[in-house]
Amino acid sequence: MRIGAIVRIVPDLVMGIEIEESEIVPFKYVPNERDEHALEEAVVFKEKTGGNLEVVGIVDDELRDDEAMEEALALAYAKGADSLKKIVLNRRTFDRREVARAIADHFKDYDVVMVGIQSIDSFAGYLGGILSGVLGYSYVGGVVGVDYDGGLIVQKELGGGVVGKFRVKTPAILGVVSAERPITFVPLVKLRQAMKEMKVEEIEVEVPDMGGIEVVRFYEPEKPEITLLEGDVEELADKLVEVFKSLSLV
Amino acid sequence: MDMLLNRLKELTNNKYFQCIQCGTCGGSCPYGAYTPYTPRRMILAIRLGMVEDILNSNAQWLCTACQTCTSRCPSRIQITDGIIPALREKSLLEGKVPEELSTALINIMRYGNPFKESPMKRDGWAKELDFEVPTMMKKKSAEVLLLPECFGAYHRRCKQATKALAKVMKILEVDFAILGREERCTGDHVRLCGEFALFEDLMEKNMKVFRKYEFKYIVTHDAHAFNALKNFYGLNVLHHSQFLHDNLEKLKGMFNELDYTVTYHDSCYLGRKNGIYEEPREVIRSIPGVRFVEFKRNRENALCCGAGGGGIWLDSVMREFVKVRPAEDRVREAKEVGADVIVTGCVLDIPMFEDALKVTGLDGEIVVKDIAELVLEALEGG
Repeated sequence: MRIGAIVRIVPDLVMGIEIEESEIVPFKYVPNERDEHALEEAVVFKEKTGGNLEVVGIVDDELRDDEAMEEALALAYAKGADSLKKIVLNRRTFDRREVARAIADHFKDYDVVMVGIQSIDSFAGYLGGILSGVLGYSYVGGVVGVDYDGGLIVQKELGGGVVGKFRVKTPAILGVVSAERPITFVPLVKLRQAMKEMKVEEIEVEVPDMGGIEVVRFYEPEKPEITLLEGDVEELADKLVEVFKSLSLV
Repeated sequence: MDMLLNRLKELTNNKYFQCIQCGTCGGSCPYGAYTPYTPRRMILAIRLGMVEDILNSNAQWLCTACQTCTSRCPSRIQITDGIIPALREKSLLEGKVPEELSTALINIMRYGNPFKESPMKRDGWAKELDFEVPTMMKKKSAEVLLLPECFGAYHRRCKQATKALAKVMKILEVDFAILGREERCTGDHVRLCGEFALFEDLMEKNMKVFRKYEFKYIVTHDAHAFNALKNFYGLNVLHHSQFLHDNLEKLKGMFNELDYTVTYHDSCYLGRKNGIYEEPREVIRSIPGVRFVEFKRNRENALCCGAGGGGIWLDSVMREFVKVRPAEDRVREAKEVGADVIVTGCVLDIPMFEDALKVTGLDGEIVVKDIAELVLEALEGG
């Protein structure tokens, strides 16, 4: 079983971002959380099948040496990835159709590829879905578990507390929403060891210009007006009644 | 196995094999009746090469690092700071980490705090005050460096205790400052959880920041930060109960009367670990109107709140073994002695006991206050 997993880095919203009209400038990048789940599920699947796991980082040229990508690949290596690749896109794009076209040739040798179902910096997410379209592979999104009984069995969250189980023809791309086990912590000593020992094959690819989407502007929506009601219980009740009246609710 | 044995030798000063199997540890442990492996049985299992049996039982995580076993061990074996973290380290390296702890450790590694909060917001509590708390970055030197640590900086309830301490310092006209955004976790829980490399990394980064500035001593209300700074960083640090005690003559002249029956909870890392018992009691007793009652289990015999050594992130593991948390027993003990206020000396105690009050139905009958909050109340007139 040849297993692939995609990891990407995204702006770290915990550390904050600066919003400019034409771009969002992060203070720091961080491994994409959904891809961390995809990686975890790929590690679980490797343990179940004894397969070979290759983890592929995808990064824009300007971020090729970003420490978050190094961390993402080192975490993958420390968790059990057999080999690592880094695909460097020659230009930044938020359009996942362009990314899928750029990287498709490098995803032809896997039976299963796992990728996070979304990343916060894309127009519509779904790199996995579009990639499967380009390659003509099966695709299931919203994946929460993967098994193998000679064929691929995929669990998908259907919403409303319902889970579906599907038999999926390989090769397949799986959009993972949540790994079946929590993301495991990698102790610093193992992370440092991985950073020292890991070998990463770097591949540069050209991103095709497919057009169709242009950034008009980035902005924060206006914050709603908040009125804080203060006073004892009776005063608060009177004030609430006034508010409800003003909204024609009573 | 060799790595574990080396770590055990290092952390216990080669004493772990001197265990005489007396069972004092298991008899003293708040979880002794529930755990499949008391410290005595752990040591025996290690001798018999049954380490994986311990790890698979999860008993290594059923420890709140309360130090009771260590303080009573007749062979003076470092159980809390040695045996348990060494076993936990092996668990971490094997990827067997409880979920909440895993999340906390990832966040500490990435952001310097367990809450996944921005380091830029670490001084947010200070901005909620009606006076400016200077940062060391601006001030460069101060007599006192006030260190709120992670819970004191970010936790909604614990921030109240931090603000109370800052207000008391202002009233006392102390020349103090904070590190603000430059502060990060001091790592005592990280060490007790066996993540030694991360603890050393945090210590190295923190020491670089400490060395940039001039201060006479650090004051903290986090007993674990106090322990780490005193015993591992080797810095001049006062627990805030000591600081308040040092200023008691001045405070006494400003105290107003309070009408409370107060009991004091000895936090493990003040009492058993660092021998601070009398200073907080003297501060509490000096407040006019306060009737002081002791818990039945007090000083060295005090029951742990359950948060230490990462216990605050191990609730789901502990619930597999224990149906009543130590904090729940502790607040019932406060009720037994007729207290209406539990005064604490470690910020972690506050959410532990406040949660326990809700679970036990004692919410409303008993309140929890940090010692700085009690002192501020006495200064401000009750």
